[in-house]
Amino acid sequence: MPEASKMKKPDVKLVLLGDMNVGKTSLLHRYTDRKFKDTVSTVGGAFFLKQWGPYNISIWDTAGREQFHGLGSMYCRGASAVILTYDVTNWQSLAELEERFLSLTDTASHDCIFAIVGNKVDLTDPKAQLSQDSSGVSEDQTEHEEERTEPQVLSSCPTPPASPASLSGITVHKQVAHEDAMALYGRILRYKGLEEKSSLPAERMCFETSAKTGYNVDALFETLFDLVLPSILRKRNENQQCPTIDLEECRGASSKRARFCC
Amino acid sequence: MERDGHQEGEGQGVIIRNPPLEINPPADTLATSLSLLGNHMFPDQVARDDRATADTQEPGELPPSEVPAQEQHLDAEPVSNQENQLETEETDNAECQNNESTETANGGTKDDAADNDQNDSGEFVVTMLAKAKLEEQGIGVKGRSSPLLEAGTQESPALMSHRDEDVTADSWRQHRKHIFVLSEAGKPIYSRYGSEEALSSTMGVMMALVSFVQSGDNIIRSVYSEKHTVVFLQKGPLVLVCVSSSRQSEEQLRGELLYVYYQIISMLTQASISRIFEHKKNYDLRRLLAGSEKILDGLLNLVDSDPSFLLAAIHCLPLASSLRDSLSQILQKAITTNLVFSILIAKNQLLTIVQEKTVIEDTRLEPADVHLLLNLIGASSAFQAGEIWTPICLPLFNPDCYFYAYISYLDPPECTVCLLLLSTDKEAFYAVADCKRKIEEAMCAQNSLSLIAKAQSYSVSQVGVSDLRHFMYKPFDVPDNYRQLTQFTSPEMEAPYSSEEEKMRLLDLYRYMHSRIHSSSRPLKLIYHVAERETLLAWVTSKFELYTCFSPLVTKACAITAITKLLRWIKKEEDRLFIRYPPKYSTTPNPSKSSRGGKSDQQDSTDNGFLSLL
Ligand SMILES: Nc1nc2c(ncn2[C@@H]2O[C@H](COP(=O)(O)OP(=O)(O)O)[C@@H](O)[C@H]2O)c(=O)[nH]1
Ligand SMILES: [Mg+2]
Repeated sequence: MPEASKMKKPDVKLVLLGDMNVGKTSLLHRYTDRKFKDTVSTVGGAFFLKQWGPYNISIWDTAGREQFHGLGSMYCRGASAVILTYDVTNWQSLAELEERFLSLTDTASHDCIFAIVGNKVDLTDPKAQLSQDSSGVSEDQTEHEEERTEPQVLSSCPTPPASPASLSGITVHKQVAHEDAMALYGRILRYKGLEEKSSLPAERMCFETSAKTGYNVDALFETLFDLVLPSILRKRNENQQCPTIDLEECRGASSKRARFCC
Repeated sequence: MERDGHQEGEGQGVIIRNPPLEINPPADTLATSLSLLGNHMFPDQVARDDRATADTQEPGELPPSEVPAQEQHLDAEPVSNQENQLETEETDNAECQNNESTETANGGTKDDAADNDQNDSGEFVVTMLAKAKLEEQGIGVKGRSSPLLEAGTQESPALMSHRDEDVTADSWRQHRKHIFVLSEAGKPIYSRYGSEEALSSTMGVMMALVSFVQSGDNIIRSVYSEKHTVVFLQKGPLVLVCVSSSRQSEEQLRGELLYVYYQIISMLTQASISRIFEHKKNYDLRRLLAGSEKILDGLLNLVDSDPSFLLAAIHCLPLASSLRDSLSQILQKAITTNLVFSILIAKNQLLTIVQEKTVIEDTRLEPADVHLLLNLIGASSAFQAGEIWTPICLPLFNPDCYFYAYISYLDPPECTVCLLLLSTDKEAFYAVADCKRKIEEAMCAQNSLSLIAKAQSYSVSQVGVSDLRHFMYKPFDVPDNYRQLTQFTSPEMEAPYSSEEEKMRLLDLYRYMHSRIHSSSRPLKLIYHVAERETLLAWVTSKFELYTCFSPLVTKACAITAITKLLRWIKKEEDRLFIRYPPKYSTTPNPSKSSRGGKSDQQDSTDNGFLSLL
């Protein structure tokens, strides 16, 4: 069979949600292409397949515009992880997560995990500017490998900048504190009817990232991939009995099933 | 609703009668506001560089081989008479003033139909606009904006920030073509340059003007000043305004506004826009269009730089018919339930299009809908590795319901070959994505991608006519299958039209010829136009519409021979230049479902969920 036909079978689904312009596309782009470049506002939703070890992870990047809300539940259907993204310099973008986006996740998988991601932290936090090289961020830099070796502050809550003198000179007022995001996480668990004790802790699921410098981006995606692993294995197990993957779980008609086999 | 196909002008201008001055809004506010509008809209300009120098069009004698009996005789000689260039035909409708001759101090309203109707109040509006212009003459804006500054550099990220422009700056006023969209309540929805917020007072004035005229049971259609044409288009609850110094005809500008309207409809549907404004008169539609400004910006850049819009026809990439057929067959085989259109695009030009059978019987795909799709693809190309799934409405097909578009590039990372699959089923993403795998596989097996990569537009030199520099040829329904899709063919623009400036100049000449051919008051069949640096000949028959550009030294006899040769060449190359027989497939078990008439299961998805957000 020719190369093009080698079907990659998605094992699991992740969805990026959040208001437009918070940096969802940039985060994904940073993670998959290791670049930060000008994005055009996303139309509808964009589907990506990411190979992660032996697994294929599908990621939906969504537009976040109200115009496309009708499809929100479709993008979220059966998702194993939802990344709720806001912009740390914009309080409203956090509020929108609760007001507009949370209800879209009703179609997600019952064991779906949630991450809350405050992006653009390079603007407010000198620490997040570290991986930026002195020349500033060029449109097409690909040489950000070093940022992967940078110690990842996964669970620690970034503290406000000790000194406002940052590398780029300007820091923007941080409108959303890490605590606010963690509080939202608690409310999400309650919305989902989940016990806080038996769920993943807020410290672990609330991230602050910079798609621009790459700060914490790999940590975000890889943490999530690790966490959805059980879900992947369970799905694979289920599929031993049923050889087709049914990504459209709500649709009964077997003729409608996507055939993701070679 | 008014009919407004964009090519057919109706030729009414400002028709205003006796609106009671005291209503909505108070006259003094209007006056103040108008001067504000004027300050923004009517910069004083240095004399425009008239490109057309001489122009004669007279009854023509036709290329011998192709003479349809109804054509006139061509015996024109180039006459250098700039003043008269718009008046060359012996004219019976003297009231059809032309811009050139009526540029008077009071603003030179050109208005085909207005003469009889114009009265005090009409004059009032016009005078206000003119006064606003006069007030401004001290400002001394230099030069006029070069069209290419805008159209030529659309990719430049620097220009992405048009939104941040200072709307009080001269540079803002000098833009060749402003486009504004507002709601009936006067709320700004879109401005091509500058932020809508900064322009809200200007837009308020425009709406005041519209409703002022409306209060007298009239519709404002256009206002002419010395250097600008202001064209209004009201569509449902939306008002679109174009302020242009491009010298295009009112009909052309209105056609462009219609494209803007359609693009908005393609994102929201007509039904939901109406419903939104029924619910809430002063709804801020930008909430829903947020993030779509770039799509509208992109559309306007295309409208300025791509003649497809002017001709309302599709430009397909020339391709050996055997290759095109094999691509069509690939698309034909990769189908799933509710798939209705499969479209393959390379270098932003159509390669092939396959339609669902019942759809093709029912209706044809309108070029405007394809243009909107192509523009959407262009605007969403930034992150090309993914597969896009988005609702889209094809306004001419059905303005009230959505299709779901699957967009994916087949040749990453180059991303020049794009597949677009349209389904009526919102949930069909995975099934449609599976069609793409099949298509990819088949194209891989047939090595299609590398064959497509070799395909390119052609050079006019291939026609083998020495004085011919460029042309645009649009056949009408020959053979019958063309009816499926209106197309045109055109060679690359080569020297001397290789710079952006020169390209735009040639396009402007074509636009001028087009406006003459399609003039609402006096349509012409044949125009022989001797310009400063080239000679153009435009000709429309029942079979085709043709625009040709020759070197300035060409003689009329030469031009006629050349056109005969050109038509022969096109005939010979027809199979390569056009999509001859758009193929079909059948995907709907229940045919009525996807056709235009069968709205049943799509109606409920028209609001796409956002009405609940009101
Ligand atoms: N400073 C900074 N800007 C960012 C960052 N991420 C995204 N942006 C910018 O924010 C804007 C919106 O980004 P985009 O990824 O398109 O947002 P989306 O609508 O959520 O997909 C773009 O101009 C990006 O360049 C970040 O981490 N830091
Ligand atoms: Mg995006």
